[in-house]
Amino acid sequence: MTITLAIPSKGRLMEKSLEALKSAGVEVSAGETRSYRTQVEGFDGLEVLLLSASEIARELRDGAIDFGITGEDLVRETIPEPDNAAAIVARLGFGHADVVVAVPEAWVDVQAMADLGDVAGSFRARHGRRLRIATKYWRLTQGFFSRTHGIQSYRIVESLGATEGAPAAGSADIIVDITSTGSTLVANRLKILSDGVILKSEACLVRSMPGRRDDADAALADELARRFAG
Amino acid sequence: MPASDKTIGEALDQLFATRGAAPAETAIILPAEPYLDAAGEALRRRIFLTRGEGGENLCLRPDFTIPVCMRHIAEGADLPRRYSYRGLVFRQRADGPAEFVQAGIEDLGEDNRAMADARAVADALASLETCGIALDGLDVILGDQGLFEAVLRALGLPEGWQRRLIRTFGHDGQLRAALESLSKGPESALEGLAPELLDLARDREEGALTRLIRGRMEEAGLPPHSGRSPGEIAARLIEKVAVAEARLGEGPLQLLENFLAVACPLDEAGERLAEVMGTAGLDLGRAMTAFETRNLALRAANVDLARVTYRAAFGRPIDYYTGLVFEARDKGAEDPLVGGGRYDRLMTILGAGTPIPAVGFSLWIDRIEKVSDCGISA
Repeated sequence: MTITLAIPSKGRLMEKSLEALKSAGVEVSAGETRSYRTQVEGFDGLEVLLLSASEIARELRDGAIDFGITGEDLVRETIPEPDNAAAIVARLGFGHADVVVAVPEAWVDVQAMADLGDVAGSFRARHGRRLRIATKYWRLTQGFFSRTHGIQSYRIVESLGATEGAPAAGSADIIVDITSTGSTLVANRLKILSDGVILKSEACLVRSMPGRRDDADAALADELARRFAG
Repeated sequence: MPASDKTIGEALDQLFATRGAAPAETAIILPAEPYLDAAGEALRRRIFLTRGEGGENLCLRPDFTIPVCMRHIAEGADLPRRYSYRGLVFRQRADGPAEFVQAGIEDLGEDNRAMADARAVADALASLETCGIALDGLDVILGDQGLFEAVLRALGLPEGWQRRLIRTFGHDGQLRAALESLSKGPESALEGLAPELLDLARDREEGALTRLIRGRMEEAGLPPHSGRSPGEIAARLIEKVAVAEARLGEGPLQLLENFLAVACPLDEAGERLAEVMGTAGLDLGRAMTAFETRNLALRAANVDLARVTYRAAFGRPIDYYTGLVFEARDKGAEDPLVGGGRYDRLMTILGAGTPIPAVGFSLWIDRIEKVSDCGISA
């Protein structure tokens, strides 16, 4: 009769997660360094694991953990139908960042997605290839471009780090990336399109919905959710 | 009446052979790049992707058109030529099994487009009959992107707008949204544009703009010979400002709406279109001639035009489709039993050295079986 909650294993996200748990009456001590186990007080039957934020999203998708604290961007990117497979119990008020579409500042004719659609539409005719978008968010990008804005002609170049450098490196024309202050974008002479915010993300407590828990565990999970919902 | 997969399949093979199409064998595991490149990234979540040992993207055959065309290009066979196919395709879909059978014909290199178009429609309908489906139980819908483009030209819409509208053709919601922003003033389109740039664009100072943009690209360390050039950006900015500040009257928009609302039996379409365009004194020129020539060719191929619905707004928002599109559905149903169209831009996208006219259709055998079974038991 235990339920599991995973929280980010390092940095500010971990500290803030511990604070959020504390204000919900759950004291977690992270124990020895490099251990992924923790001591939990204030909630019987709760096990708290330390994982990387992206791993937490995957485990939620697979139903391998009951709760996780991670960014909404990762939840929406990792889980195909997040509204069915998981529920956001609470937005925790930290880890704010936006997933945005950014283009080179030098593209003075491109202010909005409609401009980008036009550029993408004639890109092949001019350059013999599709417009390239560097991102680690292929699902969010594709949903935003294809479904929201009807832009079909582009290619995604998967980028697992330093995405903002892709246009200067010549590996992509534009990027979709996460930014909190926008300063990295500015430093790389990129600008966010006026309607180019795909998602306003923050850290969330997310509940996995595998529907395979026994009654006692489900009651525990409900109780944990209640502490945060209040 | 053939109803089982086997008998339907054999009957179709026979029909395709009598229509002069030779079977094209294609592999089941294919490079994914041509698909993502031609059809767009939206396909990514609907196909089965995997990676080869060398890191290349591979997929399970999601359709036959692309491998048939690529095979043709690789073999450099003579044109014109008709290929047939029948076999499994694989797609992730919510409403049915992920592997299912498609069959069809791709018609490559026929310069007589009207005749080739008509043949595709006639063969598609004959295929359905061969599968035991009565044509009077079907909705057959036909659209023509060529006419839509001709209307935009005839209305004298700025090129930027023509491109934007053509991009959304076939997607009613997005077309509507584009029309709406077309009817709005310039304010929103130019928001956030620095005054100095706006002035330069208004004065059509292409040289000064190009220099300014080149400076910014250099500062940002953008590679000078890959992607958009300073001149291209300057030219598009000038065009954009001109378009945004040109007031479009109510008239053209209304006319465009009237055109898009046309839906009538194909044998009345010519008259209806002449009516709509004639009120504004506009002539669709060659596109209209091509449309009428195709109708004649359809008649010659024994297609009953009264049974085909022409819908002016019917199209496919994929950029290699260029003209005719058509579909046949069981009356009242949503999913097509057969779909087809002209894709004159695909062959060059796939690497053909010169443009090759191409038209084809694809039958959804699993849906056809369901309908023909119902027909028999009812």
